[in-house]
Amino acid sequence: MKKEKYTKGNKYGMVIDLDKCIGCGICTIACASENNVSVLYDESDKTRNITWLQIYMVTNGKEFPETEVVYIPRPCMQCDNPPCVPVCPATATRKDPNTRIVSQIYTRCIGCRYCMAACPYHARYFNWFDPLFPEGMDRYLSPEVSPRMRGVVEKCTFCHHRLMRAKAKAYAEGRRDLKEDEYIPACVQACPTKAITFGDLNKPKHKVSKLIKSPYAFRLLERLNTEPKVYYMSTKNWVRRMADNYLEGEFK
Amino acid sequence: MDADSKKFSRPKIDGWIFFLVGLIAALIVGWIVFPLVLYSEKSQPLSFSHSSHGPESDAGLECEECHFFYKDGTFSGIPGIRKCMDCHEDPESPLSEDPEEVKLFTDYVGPEKEIPWLIYSRQPDCVYFPHIAHVKMANIECKVCHGDFATRKTPPIYKVNRLTRYSIDIWGRNIAGYKKNTWDKMKMDDCADCHKRKGKENNNACFVCHK
Amino acid sequence: MELSRRNFIKFAAGGLGGTMLSPLPWKLIDDIAIWTQNWSWVPVPARGKFSYIKTVCTLCPGACGIEVRKVGSRAVKIEGRSDYPVNQGAICPLGMAGLQILYNGGIRWKAPMKRVGPRGSQEWKEIPWDEAIDELAIRIKGLRDKGNPEKLAAIDGNQSRSTMALLIKRLINSIGSPNYMFMPREEDTHATANFLMQGTNGPIAFDLENADLILSFGCGLLDGWGAPGRMLSTWRQWANNGKKHKTYLVQVDPRASNTASKADLWLAPFPGTEAALAMGIAHVIIKGKLYHKKFIENHSFGFYDWFDEKGVEHKGFSKIVLEKYSPQMVENITGIKRRVIIEVAKKFASAHAPIAIAGKGKGTLPGSLYEFMAVHALNALKGRVNKEGGSLITDDVPLAQWSDVEYDSVAKDGLIKERVDCAGTPQYPFSRSLIHKFTDAINSGHGSPIDTLLLCSANPVYTIPDSQSFIEALAKIPFIVSFSPFMDETSLMADLILPDHTHLEKIVDIVWPTGIQYPLYALSQPVVKPIYRTKHSGDVIISLADRIGGQVAGSFQWTNFEEALKERVRGLYDSGNEKVSWADIKKNGYWYIPAHSFGRWTDIFKTPSKKFEFFSTEIELALKAYSKEKSFDNALINLGISSKGDEVYMPHYEEIKSGADKKEYPLLLFPMELINLASGWIGNPPFLNKTLFNHQLKRDDLFVEVNPKTASQYRLKEGSKAIIRSPKGELKVRIHLFDGAMPGVIFVPFGLGHTAYDKHLKGKGVNPNKIIDQVEDPLSGQPVWWNTRVELIKI
Repeated sequence: MKKEKYTKGNKYGMVIDLDKCIGCGICTIACASENNVSVLYDESDKTRNITWLQIYMVTNGKEFPETEVVYIPRPCMQCDNPPCVPVCPATATRKDPNTRIVSQIYTRCIGCRYCMAACPYHARYFNWFDPLFPEGMDRYLSPEVSPRMRGVVEKCTFCHHRLMRAKAKAYAEGRRDLKEDEYIPACVQACPTKAITFGDLNKPKHKVSKLIKSPYAFRLLERLNTEPKVYYMSTKNWVRRMADNYLEGEFK
Repeated sequence: MDADSKKFSRPKIDGWIFFLVGLIAALIVGWIVFPLVLYSEKSQPLSFSHSSHGPESDAGLECEECHFFYKDGTFSGIPGIRKCMDCHEDPESPLSEDPEEVKLFTDYVGPEKEIPWLIYSRQPDCVYFPHIAHVKMANIECKVCHGDFATRKTPPIYKVNRLTRYSIDIWGRNIAGYKKNTWDKMKMDDCADCHKRKGKENNNACFVCHK
Repeated sequence: MELSRRNFIKFAAGGLGGTMLSPLPWKLIDDIAIWTQNWSWVPVPARGKFSYIKTVCTLCPGACGIEVRKVGSRAVKIEGRSDYPVNQGAICPLGMAGLQILYNGGIRWKAPMKRVGPRGSQEWKEIPWDEAIDELAIRIKGLRDKGNPEKLAAIDGNQSRSTMALLIKRLINSIGSPNYMFMPREEDTHATANFLMQGTNGPIAFDLENADLILSFGCGLLDGWGAPGRMLSTWRQWANNGKKHKTYLVQVDPRASNTASKADLWLAPFPGTEAALAMGIAHVIIKGKLYHKKFIENHSFGFYDWFDEKGVEHKGFSKIVLEKYSPQMVENITGIKRRVIIEVAKKFASAHAPIAIAGKGKGTLPGSLYEFMAVHALNALKGRVNKEGGSLITDDVPLAQWSDVEYDSVAKDGLIKERVDCAGTPQYPFSRSLIHKFTDAINSGHGSPIDTLLLCSANPVYTIPDSQSFIEALAKIPFIVSFSPFMDETSLMADLILPDHTHLEKIVDIVWPTGIQYPLYALSQPVVKPIYRTKHSGDVIISLADRIGGQVAGSFQWTNFEEALKERVRGLYDSGNEKVSWADIKKNGYWYIPAHSFGRWTDIFKTPSKKFEFFSTEIELALKAYSKEKSFDNALINLGISSKGDEVYMPHYEEIKSGADKKEYPLLLFPMELINLASGWIGNPPFLNKTLFNHQLKRDDLFVEVNPKTASQYRLKEGSKAIIRSPKGELKVRIHLFDGAMPGVIFVPFGLGHTAYDKHLKGKGVNPNKIIDQVEDPLSGQPVWWNTRVELIKI
């Protein structure tokens, strides 16, 4: 396969500071309400429910009272080398050359779930049921995101519609370029502790570009070479060690 | 022999007639009956005359006065009843003698009810179309996609596809999908072709138009 | 020309060919493909103009500013409001999911309802509003005609300063009943501690933003305490202060909560011994003479030994602390190592702006009075009272008073009768509402002393500790009226439903959100038009008073609730601090005084001694009054105080006793509150279910957190099923092994186990309130909800 090279355009990415994240779950809720994600009656069925942004809880494994809890919010990693894209038989998922966001087109998806098998982060979700909005709950649905039907796969889009919203506003003001904070996903805006930073990794002046140079920055399962554009930060060694599978004595 | 050949050739001609009958019937069904069955017709709640509102008329309104952009760049689409009421404010002094205006006053302005317009160009829910990118940034005229609505006296008949529930204007009024003018069809390929023609191939990435 | 088989095939071939040459198959394939993408049951959200409405969320007392995005007339998203002083853009999960409360028809009362079947049968009849209000008015008039207005009672969940609360109280009092009760809350314990030590009635105010060391005695500062939006944005400020000025957080917590995990230091004393820990820290500070000498010597009372008017010598606070709370003694009580106590005390003493703050979890339930006093004593020791980054004493929001109620003779006779819940009587001198005593009073007698009960913005059947007793009491009350917008547990037991609007459909005011350090007045304004046939409870009360007539109607001379609000707001204008008219308030949505005058120690204390009192004169006065009737020792026993001598009047450690046998019930049940699980009177919205882990809820099974060591004693593994048994009842749960849980303690979250609401919530998990075996907190008489002895049974 010809290796695609993008030097121009945007490279949207995210940095999540785990030292600031308190696991309140508001990013998950902001995401679900922004993106018309439906709610099952039994949300504890984690093989059937849909959470584009899932929070994982990890502990340092030490005994009371040395125990420490850290939360890891996991949106779609928006890999620069996404394993889900080449496997799609219906071209329903692509990496957008302009923004490098991995797109998912529901009306194109045939529901084979090959992409779900390919994704090492479990970031993709299958609609096992038709969306459930009982008793008038469809009244809060946003027209900016199309509700999905049963039998298709969905995932985090970095709130792509918010990029479109920001662009429309910029156009109305006669601009083509967006400012750093004009386009941010719903989770980033909602995070009450501002643990999540969002921006263009191709722009050195953006805060994200600076943050990823920190010695505390890391990515999940980095050695799979999926090149995620979601970075994490933690000053705790045990958290960083957990982010990948290391052999004994290998973690520096 | 003669008798025999006659015997053999007659069914041959008969057979071709059957073939032709089948062929012609199928063509009639496919080209004439099928479109009639596939689409149902609806008429607009009001027979709105663009020509008596448009730039050439006495009212002299530009397109943008009713179909405007909000400050956030979103497109207002078809104006709401409040916009109509800017001019058609008093039932006692109508602006014309048109019975349609009487209907406007009694059915919509009075109870301040929105007019349930049928939208010819309504795209599927999965489509995101930013008017501002096309109208303001690319300077494309309204009629390039919508046809010359501004001069229409009556709205065209609204036909809806019984299967897809979309307006006929998306596929185009020609059942074969044949397109003469830019505004004849509004399918994905038409968007993509235009992007390609204008050298905007990057805008054919899925997420540019899908939501 | 016969249609032979051969000819038919030719006909069919012609037909096929013709079809292929027509658009029919190609068009059909395309259409069918599109048809499969559009099922009629998959919603297509209507488009429309985007608009943004700024308002204030009133789902909890924190009252964060929110901005609601609307499309056309629909509200589609709630976001934090960044131009609002309390929360600066941050909101909590419940606030974010508010639209699922507004639009969920499955949990809302859609019109006034009258019960037609037996109670609990859920057979209701929809009735017109006029009829509904009339029915209640006639019943109240009947009580007044019989001379029993005190048989009317109300349980209110509104913030105590809000206009809604004042309106309900005014209604109950003007009718002639003293029985206005409100839901128990932590704010009251803070307020009482303030009153006893500082003599002020002001709300709690902690300048956490400017503190550089926070010693939190159990407040879930990052678990939803106070105004969650404010706390979380404050946390981000602390973290952003940089390494040098980073705020140091010490969390006292029996469990590795979010706050404990994020804290710089986590201390885990045995639950209920926090006061001893505070006293131990005080010991180190006093012994090392690390306290604020100027404050102690000039502005405090009872620190040193002193003589009263009669010449009797009293021990000072310092002496008692030095005698009884050495680090070693405190280690024995709390389980915290001596070394750690000394280290924390030295950190606290050497910090530039330390603050100690008492509380538990989200701060929605009352705490122990002596404990709160002990913690506040630390602030006093360091002179952190009314100092930047300390605990502040502030004036209340300068709202205008309504004209006084003019009581008629029926009301006057009713009001002198004793409250059913005994609050404010000599036995409970410092409490203004005690719902568990109300429950006892009803359950102990034959008939109910209450005939008609009004329930506003509260769901006590679900949220009151020891809920079973409360349910028994409700069953004995002849007539129950619920103003709840939701089909919650309590309203399902009512006889008449007068449904209120939800928070996004109405105008109400917020007077000083909980925990904020400056006076703030805000308006929550309607975002959408009411979507059902509901009515603002304020309006209902005004028209109810009107129908009762006479002097009652005379006390409610407004035509609607907004006028009543307006009249109070005029006080802001008149106060002259800043010119604020009703129009300004409606436009901006809020008003506050950001500047505070710190210090002023000579005139801020309103105690009898005009000083900060380590020795509380108010307690002395109350005890004197109470011991007139009985001996002093009996008085102490009745008040639940086990200490003797001068310690009674001072902050000290009181062991909370439990009636249950420690051998039979060896473990402790500790209810915990999670920021992503609504545990108050409003049911958890479905979105929040997404954030619960499988080790918290799986199908309908609730997991309780148990330390692996404790679990192994009962041979329980991860996911094992077990029964938690207390003297009050049983809960069926599953076990989650959690290293961060204190051994010997079972942690059960509040917020699940609903028996009402819709399929998203009903029947999921269990509610610890059901088995809470409460005792009374010494002196305050408030229920202690975190001290239930239980046993664990493997099944």
